[in-house]
Amino acid sequence: MQGMRSRSLLVLIPFLVALLLASETSASGEVLRPVGVSLAKAALYQPRADKSWTCLDGSRSIPFTQINDDYCDCPDGSDEPGTSACAQGKFHCLNKGHQPIDIPSSQVQDGICDCCDGSDESQLVACPNTCQELGAAAAVQRRNEAELFKKGAERRQELITRGKQMRAERESRRLELDQRLKEQELLRTEKEQLKQNAEAFETEAIDAFKEQHRELDTDTAKAEEEPKEMRKEASLSFIEYDTNTDGFVEVTELMVDMVLDKDRNGVVTKEEARYFLDERDRVDIDAFITLSWPRIKPLKMLAEGLFQPPTPEDSTGDAAQQTEATPEKINPTSPHLNDEQADLAGDDDIEADEEGDEDQYDDEEPDVGVGEATPDVEDAKPPVYDPETQRLIQQANEARNALEEVERSIREIEHEVKEIDEQNGKDYGPNEEWAVLDGQCYTFEDREYVYTLCPFDRTSQKSRSGGAETTLGRWEQWIGQPKKYSQQKYANGAACWNGPSRSAIINIKCSLEPKITAVSEPNRCEYYFEFETPAACDSEAFQAETDNLHDEL
Amino acid sequence: MRCALGVLATLCALFLIFSDAVDPSNFKTCEQSSFCRRSRKVQTSGSKYALIPGTLNTYADSLTADLVNKENHHQFAFKLEALVGSSFRLQIDEKQPLKPRYRVEHALKGQPQTGRIRVQRETDGEIVITSERKQGRLVVDSIRRYCRRLLKVYDHLFWFLFYYNLCFNYGHSWQETGSLSSPRISFRPQRTAGVYWQNAAETWVDIQTTETNVVSSLVNFVSGSRKTPPPAAHFISESGIVDAFILLGPKPLDAFRQYAALTGTHELPQLFSLAYHQSRWNYNDERDVTSVSAKFDEFNIPMDTMWLDIEYTDGKRYFTWDKFKFPQPLTMIKNLTELGRHLVVIIDPHIKRDNGYFFHNDCTERGYYVKTRDGNDYEGWCWPGSASYPDFFNPVVRDYYASQYALDKFQTVTSDVMLWNDMNEPSVFNGPEITAPKDLIHYGNWEHRDVHNLYGHMHLMGSFAGLQQRDPNQRPFILTRSHFAGSQRYAAIWTGDNLADWSHLQHSIKMCLTEAVAGFSFCGADVGGFFGNPDAELLERWYQTGIFLPFFRAHAHIDTKRREPWLFPERTRLVIQNAVLKRYSYLPLWYTAFYELEQTGEPVIRPLLAHYPLDKEAFGIDNQLLVQDRLLVRPVMQQGVGKVDVYFPSVDDKKNGDLWYDVDTYQRQEKSGYVSVSVDEYKIPVWQRGGSILPKKERQRRASTLMINDPYTLIICLDRQGKATGSLYLDDEKSYAYRKGHFIHVDYEFSNGQLINRFIGKPNYKTEAWIERIVIAGLERVPNGATITVNGVTQQLEVLPHEGHVVVRKPGIKMDVDFALKLNF
Repeated sequence: MQGMRSRSLLVLIPFLVALLLASETSASGEVLRPVGVSLAKAALYQPRADKSWTCLDGSRSIPFTQINDDYCDCPDGSDEPGTSACAQGKFHCLNKGHQPIDIPSSQVQDGICDCCDGSDESQLVACPNTCQELGAAAAVQRRNEAELFKKGAERRQELITRGKQMRAERESRRLELDQRLKEQELLRTEKEQLKQNAEAFETEAIDAFKEQHRELDTDTAKAEEEPKEMRKEASLSFIEYDTNTDGFVEVTELMVDMVLDKDRNGVVTKEEARYFLDERDRVDIDAFITLSWPRIKPLKMLAEGLFQPPTPEDSTGDAAQQTEATPEKINPTSPHLNDEQADLAGDDDIEADEEGDEDQYDDEEPDVGVGEATPDVEDAKPPVYDPETQRLIQQANEARNALEEVERSIREIEHEVKEIDEQNGKDYGPNEEWAVLDGQCYTFEDREYVYTLCPFDRTSQKSRSGGAETTLGRWEQWIGQPKKYSQQKYANGAACWNGPSRSAIINIKCSLEPKITAVSEPNRCEYYFEFETPAACDSEAFQAETDNLHDEL
Repeated sequence: MRCALGVLATLCALFLIFSDAVDPSNFKTCEQSSFCRRSRKVQTSGSKYALIPGTLNTYADSLTADLVNKENHHQFAFKLEALVGSSFRLQIDEKQPLKPRYRVEHALKGQPQTGRIRVQRETDGEIVITSERKQGRLVVDSIRRYCRRLLKVYDHLFWFLFYYNLCFNYGHSWQETGSLSSPRISFRPQRTAGVYWQNAAETWVDIQTTETNVVSSLVNFVSGSRKTPPPAAHFISESGIVDAFILLGPKPLDAFRQYAALTGTHELPQLFSLAYHQSRWNYNDERDVTSVSAKFDEFNIPMDTMWLDIEYTDGKRYFTWDKFKFPQPLTMIKNLTELGRHLVVIIDPHIKRDNGYFFHNDCTERGYYVKTRDGNDYEGWCWPGSASYPDFFNPVVRDYYASQYALDKFQTVTSDVMLWNDMNEPSVFNGPEITAPKDLIHYGNWEHRDVHNLYGHMHLMGSFAGLQQRDPNQRPFILTRSHFAGSQRYAAIWTGDNLADWSHLQHSIKMCLTEAVAGFSFCGADVGGFFGNPDAELLERWYQTGIFLPFFRAHAHIDTKRREPWLFPERTRLVIQNAVLKRYSYLPLWYTAFYELEQTGEPVIRPLLAHYPLDKEAFGIDNQLLVQDRLLVRPVMQQGVGKVDVYFPSVDDKKNGDLWYDVDTYQRQEKSGYVSVSVDEYKIPVWQRGGSILPKKERQRRASTLMINDPYTLIICLDRQGKATGSLYLDDEKSYAYRKGHFIHVDYEFSNGQLINRFIGKPNYKTEAWIERIVIAGLERVPNGATITVNGVTQQLEVLPHEGHVVVRKPGIKMDVDFALKLNF
C-alpha cells in the first residue's frame, strides 16, 4: 500500500489514512473501535472470521477494511462513523472530561473544531482540546444552577404554601358567598315586596296631588309671569332658610345647607355663605330675592339634577374615560388609512376597550333609580308636594334604596363568585405554586417600550414616549413542551394593522426574584418574554434531569 | 426590489389587500408619454428621411453618409460599422444639434473591434451588406406596417412589465429584457439575430408582426410561409442618438457571444455567492443573526450567507450601524465567518439629509449631489425620509464613494462582508413614476432624462471599485436591482419584489432566462415570495425551483411571518433540506458554468432554443430551463399536482431527440416531445443529457466554503453512441489568482468504455480534492471491474452495479493528474 502510493499518483489522502484507519488504541484501556464510534456501539464494529463486516442495517457486507476508508458503502452510513463520506452519518465525540456528543458527519473534517477534544478534525487543523475547561465550567454552572434551584425551591415552597392557602381561602370564601347569596336573595324578595307596597302608596298620593294641582295651574298659568314665579320661589326659599323666623336670612342659617358647599369640601364655610348673602352678614327678603336667590338657585337645580353646567369638576372623570376609551395605537406605518380602514382598525380594538366600557357603566350605575320621579324638563320647578305626599315619596325612596342596596350586594357577591370560579379554573400548577403571581404585574423597559406582564391576565406594551397601552395578549394557557410549566401563551391582543392579533409567549426560568429579563418580537406582532420567578424553581425536576444526564454519561 | 414597490406597501394599503404588489397605474403608458405618443404615429412607409446624394463614403470598416429630413431639412450623420464576429453598429446623430445628444458611456466593455465591410448588391431598395465572414449578412429593408404590441422598457419597471406582457414570453421571436439597453434577439431555425439598442433614456419598443400572436407568427415564418414578413420592431427613445448593434448570429449561442463581446460578462463569482443565501427584512439584531445561523446547523441545512436589510443601519444612514441592535458587528461577523459563512449588508444610494451624518456633509460641501434645474441639491423622499442622491456620473463622486468601503473608513465590517445595492433606479417615493424627475442635472450638464437608465450602473461602478480597492485579491459580490447593459460585469441581480403566489414562482424562471440571454446569468428571485406568506407547499416548490436558478436567496417582507425552514412542519423542513443539499451537490457544475461564461459569454442557464433551434415547439417553452447544455430542469410550479408535463426537445425537425437521464433514478427518456412525469413532494424533475459528463460534490457541509477539499463525483450519461464529454473548473474559489493561471480546467471524455481527461491549459492549482466516485449511466452491459492507469501505473477498481447505472468505487484520483480509466467487461 505504501509502495503503491509512492509510485503512483493515486491518492488516498494521507492524513485521512492516518486519522481514520487508526482505531482507539488499547493503551488507553478502552475497547478497540473505529474512530467516531461510541463505547456503547463498539461491539457492533467487530470483523467476522473472513474479515468481512455487515452494514448495521444489514443491507450488505463489505470487507472490514472498508470501515472508515472515506468512501460510503452502506446505505445507512454505518461504515463511515469517522469520516464525512456518508450523508446521514453521526460522529461520536468522546470529549473526555466533558460531555460526549454526536455530531453530524457533515461537520467531520471540515476545518472547524466541533468536538471539544478535537477528534472531528485532522492533526493539520490542530484543534485544541478544551474539554477539561469546558467540563469544569459546565460543572460550575451545574453547581450554580443546583444552588439556585435549592434556594429557589425554598421560595417556591412559600409560594406553594401561600397558593394552597389561597385556594383554601377561595374555597371557604366561595362557600361563605354561597350562603350570603342565599340570604341576600331572600332579603331581596322581602325588599321587593316592601318597595312595591310603598310605591303603591306613593303613586296614589302623587296622582291625587297632581289632579289637585292641575286645576290650580290652569287657573293661574297664564297670569303668572317669569319674575313673579321667581319671586315666589325666592320667597319660599327665604322662608325655608329663615329658621329663626326673624325676617332675615343669616350666615349661620345658610351654613346648614350642604347644597351651598360650592367647593364640595363637605363644609359650607362662612365665606361661602357670605357669598350668597352678597358679602353681608344677613339679608332681608327683598335683598334675598334680588341678590341671593340668583346665586343659590343654580346650585339647587344642580342638586336636583335639573341643571348640568360644564363644571370643571366633572371633566377629570371624562378625561379618564377618554384615555381608557382611546383606540389602541394604530400601526404608525398607516398614515394613509382611509376612513373605512380606520373604522376597521377601530373595530378590531373593540375588545381591548371593553374594560373602559365597563368602567363607564360602573360610573353611571349609582344614578340609576335616584331620579325616579323624573321632573318634567320644561317645567323646571319640581312640584312642591304637600307634607303627606312628601312623606310617602320619602318612604318609597327609602324602600327603593333598600332594594337597590340588596341588589348591589348580590351583584357584588356574584362578581366575587365569578372571580373565584375563574381563578379556580386557571391552572396554577400541580402545587398551586403559580397562584401568587395572579394579580401581580411585572414590567420591563427597553429602548422604546415599557412591557408589562400580569401573569394569568394580560401582557401589554406602552411606548416610553407616551401614548396608549397596547394589549399584546390575554391569558390563554400553558404551552411548554415537554415541560408544560415552562412556557405560557397570551393571545388575542390588539390587532396589528393589516395583520394578525398580537400574541405573546412567555419563557419561564428559575430565579430568586421575579423579573422579566428580555422581550423580543422575532415575528411581526408575536412577542417573546423571558421571565424568571422562584415559582419555576422545581428542584426535584431539576435533580431528576441532572440524574438523567449522569446516567447518559 | 423593495422600494419602488415597497413604497406601495405604505401608500397603497388597499392594494396590498388585493394581494398584489405592483400598481400599474404608477407608471405611464405610451399614450401618457408625449414623445412616445408622437413617435408612435410615425408611418413607416414613405420615410421622411433621405440619403443626401454624394455623401456616401465606403471605408474598410464602415459606411458613412448624411441623411436629411425632407420636411425640416435637418441633417444627420449616419455611420454603419462592421464589427468582428458578425455584428454591425449603426449610429445616427444630428449634424448640427442645438444641444448635443447623449452618447451612452461605460456600458460597453471597451471600444468594439471593427471588422471589414462590403456592399454586396443593391436591388429593389434592398441593400445587402456583408462583413468579412460570409454569414454576416445584413439586409436593410423598410419597416412595414404590422400588428403592434407596445412595450415600455424602463429598467426598474421591467419586472412589472414582464408580468403584464406575457405575450412576450420567453422563446418567442423577440426577447424582452430587463434593462433598457439589452439585446432583442430574434430566433428562427436557421438563423438567430439580435439588436442591442444602446440608449439610456425612456424607451419604448413597438413589436410588429402580421399575426396577433407572436408565436403563431413565428411558426408561420419558420414553416416557410413566405407571405408573412418577419417580425419587426420600432424603437422609440426620448433622447440620445440612435446607436444600435445588430448581432447576426447565426446560432443562438453565437448571438449571445456577440453580445458578450460588446458588453462583457460576469466575473467568476466567489463560490459562496452561488450557494444558499438567507435573507429577511429584517434580522432584528445580533442575537437574531447568530441564532438563525445556529439553527441551520441544528437542522443540518447548508447555508452560506446571512443578509441584513435596511434596519441594521443607524436611521438609514448607510455605512453606519444601529448601536443598540448591533452593538458588536465585528463579533457577529466573526461568529459567521468562523463557520465559513458570509454576511451581506444593504447600502442604498439615497443619502439621509442630516447635518450630523458625515456622508451627507461631504456630499453637500463638495457638491456631489444630483442637482435641480436651478443648481440646488435635489431632495427626494426615500427610506431615511428627506434624501439626496450622489451623482455617480461624476468620476470624482464614484471615487469618493468607493473610498468609503475601505476598512479604515467603514470599520465595522470585514472584507468578508459583501454588498447589496437596492433602490438605485433611483427610487424616489415622491418622484414621478417613483423615480427622479427628468429635468435634474447630472455631471456633464446632462439631464436626468438622458441618463436615467444608467444611474444604477454608475452606482455599481462605484461600489465595485470600492470592494476591489478594499481587498484587491477578493472577488466582489454585489446584488443590484437596477441594471443596464454591461452591469453584469459588476453585479448579480434579482427579479425584484415578487409575491408569495404560484404565478410569481412561474415568472421567476421566465424572467431569469430572459436576463440570461441578455447577458445576466447571475439572476434569481426571492425564494418564498417577498410579499405575503407562502403556505408549506408553495415554499417547498419555490426552494426546489430556486436551487436551479443561478442566484439562490430566500427573502421576505418585514410584515410577513418568519419562514425559516424549521418553523414549518417536519416534512417541509426535510423537503427544503433535500433541495438545498441538491443545490450544494451541483455547486461544481454551477462554478464551472460561471467560469465558462466568463470565458465564452455563453449563459449559465439557457432556454431550450439555445441548443435546439430546429425544434420550433421548443421556442415557446418557458417553464423549463437548461443548465449549460447538461441539465434539463422542469420544476414543479403548480399547486397540488401529482404529475407534470415535460418537453424533451428534438435536435432536428424529425423528432429525433437526445437521451435524457433522470438525475435521481437514472431512468432514461428516449423520445422527444411531451412526457407526463409523476412527482411527489420531494421530486424535482431534472434530467442530465445523454452525452454529457458533469462534476458534483456529494458530501454535506454547513457552508460551501467548507467543501473546498471535498472529493468530486463525476456523473457520466452516455449518448446513443456510448459517448459523453464534459468539463470541470476549479480554483481557490475566492481570489483573483485564477487570472494568473492558478486553476484547473479539465475536459473529461468517455468513449468505447474508457474515460480520459484532457486539461485545458496547464493545471496549476494545488488542491486536496480528489475523485471519490464515477457514476456511469447508459452502458449496455454491466462491467465487472475497471482499470485505472496513472503515469503508467495501473490499479484495479471495483464497479458496483445499481439500477440504471454503475458506480466506479473510489478511483482516488487527484484533480491535476492525467489518467485513463477503462471498464472491463
